Amino acid sequence: MSIIRLTDITHAYGAKQVLQQLSLDIGASQLTCLLGGSGSGKTTILRLIAGLEAPQSGCITISNNKVTDNKHIIIPPHQRHLGFIFQDLALWPHFTVYKNITFGLTARKQKNVKESVQQMLDYFGLQEYSDKYPHQLSGGQQQLVALSRALVLRPKILLMDEPLANLDVKLKRKTLDLIKKLQHNFDLSIVFVTHDHREAFVIADNIVILNKGIIEQAGSVEQIKNSENEFVKYFIEY
Amino acid sequence: MIIRSIERLWYSLVFGSFFLFIVLPIFYTVGDALLPKASNSSLVENLLLINNDSFSLLAKSSAIAFSIAFLSTILGVIFGFILFKTNVAFQGFFKIALLIPLFISPYILAVAWNDFFYLCFGNINLLASYLGVILILTFIYTPLSIVIIGSAFLNINAQLEEAGEMMTDYLHVIFKITLPLIKPALLTSFVLVFIFSISEFSVPIFFGVKVFTTEIFTQFSAFYNHSLAILQSTLLILLCLLLLFSEKAYLAEAPFLSVQGGGIRTENNHFNHWRGLNVSLLFIWFLLSVLLPLVVLFIQSFDDGTAKFIQAFALLKPTFINSIGLAFAGAMICIVIGFTAAYVAEVKKTKSLIWLLLFVFATPSTIFGICLIKFYNRPLLDAIYSSYAIILLGYSGKFSFIAAKLIENAIKQIPKSFDEVAQIQGIVLFRRIWMILLPLIMPSIFAAFIINCIFCIGELGTTIMVYPPGTEILPIKVFTLMANAPQALISSMTLIVFSITLLLITALYLFFKALPKCQS
Amino acid sequence: MKKIFLKIAILITLITTGCTENTDTVVVYTTVDQIFSEPILNDFESHTGIKIKAIYDTEETKSTGVLNRLIAEKDNPQCDVFWSGDPVRIIVLKNKGITSPYQSPMANDINGFFKDPDHHWTGFSARARVLIYNKNLLTKEEVPHSIFDLTKEQYRGKFAIANPLFGTTTFHIAALFTSLGDERAKQLFADLKNNEVVIASSNGDVKKQVILGKVACGLTDTDDVYEAIKEQANIGFVFLDQQGIGSLIMPNTVSLIKKSPHTENGKKLMDYLLSKETEAKLAKSCAQMPLHKGVKIPGDITSLDNIIPMNIDYDKTAQKLENIQNYLKKWLEQ
Repeated sequence: MSIIRLTDITHAYGAKQVLQQLSLDIGASQLTCLLGGSGSGKTTILRLIAGLEAPQSGCITISNNKVTDNKHIIIPPHQRHLGFIFQDLALWPHFTVYKNITFGLTARKQKNVKESVQQMLDYFGLQEYSDKYPHQLSGGQQQLVALSRALVLRPKILLMDEPLANLDVKLKRKTLDLIKKLQHNFDLSIVFVTHDHREAFVIADNIVILNKGIIEQAGSVEQIKNSENEFVKYFIEY
Repeated sequence: MIIRSIERLWYSLVFGSFFLFIVLPIFYTVGDALLPKASNSSLVENLLLINNDSFSLLAKSSAIAFSIAFLSTILGVIFGFILFKTNVAFQGFFKIALLIPLFISPYILAVAWNDFFYLCFGNINLLASYLGVILILTFIYTPLSIVIIGSAFLNINAQLEEAGEMMTDYLHVIFKITLPLIKPALLTSFVLVFIFSISEFSVPIFFGVKVFTTEIFTQFSAFYNHSLAILQSTLLILLCLLLLFSEKAYLAEAPFLSVQGGGIRTENNHFNHWRGLNVSLLFIWFLLSVLLPLVVLFIQSFDDGTAKFIQAFALLKPTFINSIGLAFAGAMICIVIGFTAAYVAEVKKTKSLIWLLLFVFATPSTIFGICLIKFYNRPLLDAIYSSYAIILLGYSGKFSFIAAKLIENAIKQIPKSFDEVAQIQGIVLFRRIWMILLPLIMPSIFAAFIINCIFCIGELGTTIMVYPPGTEILPIKVFTLMANAPQALISSMTLIVFSITLLLITALYLFFKALPKCQS
Repeated sequence: MKKIFLKIAILITLITTGCTENTDTVVVYTTVDQIFSEPILNDFESHTGIKIKAIYDTEETKSTGVLNRLIAEKDNPQCDVFWSGDPVRIIVLKNKGITSPYQSPMANDINGFFKDPDHHWTGFSARARVLIYNKNLLTKEEVPHSIFDLTKEQYRGKFAIANPLFGTTTFHIAALFTSLGDERAKQLFADLKNNEVVIASSNGDVKKQVILGKVACGLTDTDDVYEAIKEQANIGFVFLDQQGIGSLIMPNTVSLIKKSPHTENGKKLMDYLLSKETEAKLAKSCAQMPLHKGVKIPGDITSLDNIIPMNIDYDKTAQKLENIQNYLKKWLEQ
């Protein structure tokens, strides 16, 4: 069953066509990797799902609700029950770790803010950093804060834009395991953007390979590994 | 080793020159006024004259300046947001058009509004009051706030806002994330407008409103009591320095006051449904702050045909080349000093030069002029005093601080790693600055250059005190001719000054746009 | 791109930071409005070939900017000749030891009343203080003829004077104090304040307010009045107190500066300014009344012979001016 559906999405930045009549289903409770080189359109897809941009044409549904239709954003980002981990994490520099995590809860006037945040801090082992500012943390710790911030709002879907790009090899591995664990513990549908097929092979339930705004192939890890598609073969070779 | 020596030498040269040529005259004159002399009952008398009345007047003036700074900053946020964060129609036009009040002398604007009020309401009671002073000066300084705050909006990492948008509506994001992130720019806007407002006396004196600077001017010009005028100015300088120090302390290392960083997408489609309102707000402000006074000036100029305009042009024509040349040279010197101060402050964490720039910036223009006269008017220094060099010293003193602020923040935006990579590759300092840093911050340097040009070309307070006899400089010629000239001639001259400044800015802007881009 | 920028900047810097010229020159500072004084100075330059370098005063600084510059430059004067629009400020300079005596042969037939006994200043081309009025707002019968009339109820809030701390207004007030005595003068000014006198920013502003009808009348100088007439404004003017204390006559004055860099050229300029030729030109351009006898003046200019002048001593008036400044400041702020 698909939780996110993109139908005939076309999008461009100025004269540069980024997505061309793209249709895609993202399975519920699955981790789907969008895999491709620079400029293939994977981050654009993420941003369209999030509602941060509207496509030139096409329609997006989330949980069978139309959220975007052609150029019109029907449901704004904060009402789509999504979490988003940005490539550079986008932690607010003027907020402490605690404040970064509570921001969404207080903005939505939710109850039991303290308890929810404490849960997250305990889960990710960030208790002693709650009054620190992002610039006082290591890259790995910042990563965990970004995850806490997104998950404290209990989203159904988590969008991740190259979250491992700035981590070392050991930390990458550790984080991949963590993400998989989160997927199960929080029953998340995850859309994970990366250019590294090795990450995708470790973590993904489904992989979608993009090339210049077009889906070259979509399928399971095994299907991708055994693909006959020349582009896919070339992409995963190195 | 040699490079480090050259680096230190350059800094010492700039620091030493600025101190020697610009700061020392102020210390010398203030010291001369303050130090006891053989028959110096006047020092004691003058000190006694700084009484509760003086402090209460200073408090009143501070309140007026506070109001102007507050209003300008709020308006700067609103218009800066509309211009730089939305896709409002005629964006390019409004970005330049709303800067126009900066090109017009405050005194002239006061006269235009005075005439407008009289024409419409039959009296100027509302205008000839504190309210009038606040109104006029808000019109004049809001463009500065728009530039400062708009630049800060441009430099916000879009992802920080988008992360907020994932959680709450955009209005909430503006108040909780966007505005706090540009707090340094808000404070800078407030502080700069406060200092400009509290130092301004031509508008209050025109409306008959007593403020601290009119008191300084009165002591200076009516009582010829230079000592008291300088003592009173010292109070003003201390207040401005205190404000600037508080700003620095509060902001610590937060970046601020930058212009157009590249590579960060800040396109914003929010408030598209409010396009009509956005344009209306911009247009209303344009109407009040620009169109209205220009129309009044226009009507006054051409009331009886074009004769006065032609006469005004003929009178001012000899000043064009001189004035533009001096403004260019002045702006260039400000950039060199400002860059050195900004670089050393940001990279070497040595702030002493910036504090010197700040000190001179806070000194009232007329007093600064007197300090330059008292120091340079001696046979040994005649080569400086009798030449354009004295005017350039005035410009450098008054405006280097603004250049330093703009450039300092631009340098903050450049990752240190860019320089470190080059260091590892063995590239020497000056080459790194020339080939890496300067190209990356060129938009900021250019903006600083344009802003300094505008200020230099309109500078009057210091220049009137020191300009060498026989030289023809645009704002001085306008103001000397204004005495007893027909209104049509005065208005024509103002329109000409405004046009020259606008043409110059447009030419510079187009020149910059035409150059190959050297920043990602 | 950076190189082009740098080259242009250096070129401009070099051009504009020029060295001091070494031509035959004379430096003059003047508080007389540039629009009137500049043509006279240009004529001197064309007649003699001596280059004029002038500093003029601005509307903003109200005839005191130049004065303060002279005071500040006292120890190393740059100026050769000071041409003032009134005699009192030049006396301030004399008292500070900034002027030097010079008896110009061109001024021999000027009345001694308009000259400093020690020859530190010489008067020429006079203005007078007058009352300008708007003909639409006041009929001939309603026009005041004495300054004391302005304290009457019918003129409440309808007349203006310029800021009394600056310009010829200060001189006028000092002259009134000298003429009437302190007590009577203070009473007069208290009555004027009670009668809601409007304070304008300058004489030019008084003229403007009268023309626009913001006030019915105001005190200003004759050259402002004639400018208004040239602009074809519907205004008239009267010399006040012709049956009483008389109207204040304010001659231009010229003075040689002590230790000036071009003393001989300065004397030549002074001779030129004190000539009948200059007085004729100033009469034509700004209705200033010649002090020389037999100078041809336009028909619409009042001759000095037809005005009852205020009987004052300029030296004493200059002293009085300094003494009443604090009083005037308090009066203004009431």
